Amino acid sequence: MRPTGERRPVPRGVFAIEDQQLLLPDPIALDTSFVVEALLTTQPLHPACSAFLKRIFDSGVAVVTSDLLAIELAESAFAIALKERWGGRWRGHRTDGRSRRPATWRLNDTVTRYEALLSPVNHLPIPVRRVTADARVLMADYGIASYDAVHAASAIAAGAEAIVTLDTGFALLPANQLMMYTDRSRLTSCRPKRPH
Amino acid sequence: MTITMRSVASKQTNGKIKRLSTEELAELMVPATARTPEEKDAALKRATTGLRAKVRVTRDMYRPR
Repeated sequence: MRPTGERRPVPRGVFAIEDQQLLLPDPIALDTSFVVEALLTTQPLHPACSAFLKRIFDSGVAVVTSDLLAIELAESAFAIALKERWGGRWRGHRTDGRSRRPATWRLNDTVTRYEALLSPVNHLPIPVRRVTADARVLMADYGIASYDAVHAASAIAAGAEAIVTLDTGFALLPANQLMMYTDRSRLTSCRPKRPH
Repeated sequence: MTITMRSVASKQTNGKIKRLSTEELAELMVPATARTPEEKDAALKRATTGLRAKVRVTRDMYRPR
């Protein structure tokens, strides 16, 4: 039981996707980490992420993604196939023809599923070139990593108030720039990172 | 029922991040192709069931730190 008088944690713009009362902004941005988890049934947060995806579909809000997401998704599919075959030595086998065939098959299957994922929503894919300068601003102002900055800048440029992500790096942005929707296990690690 | 809220167009970004205009966003928009509840459910099922991996996917497999 919570002791009387204990303070509730300050959200600092970080909210749990498991919270059924969570409002969905329109549009809402998706990060690669969330999409990977939603697509792959073997990922630990697949149930929470696929359930939140259904909420997005049902709500009718538009979805913003950086064009970088499709590339990162393809890379993750390729890497899965290599890692399944070679374990920890997978990075050294990218050019191996025997490895590339199953990797390419997995890549194509993943891309097909991603296209299915986007088919029920109005989708705003933001080209990287449209936000290159903005990403640099976020890196300079908040120290956010480059690829995270591209996703965040895409979300902000498209008018999304929140990004759905499992990546704690986005917590480096202040809440007034972009809210974070993440799984509940990351709330306590993300909130203290938020700049005031 | 899911509650939604409209973005506030005038949200501040320190004046540094340039918002895309309504026209630019309209140009980029890809409209939904699955519109009925049945089509949406089928798309969700197609996207989120059946794709398995024997390894756990971690951030370093698709994005450098």
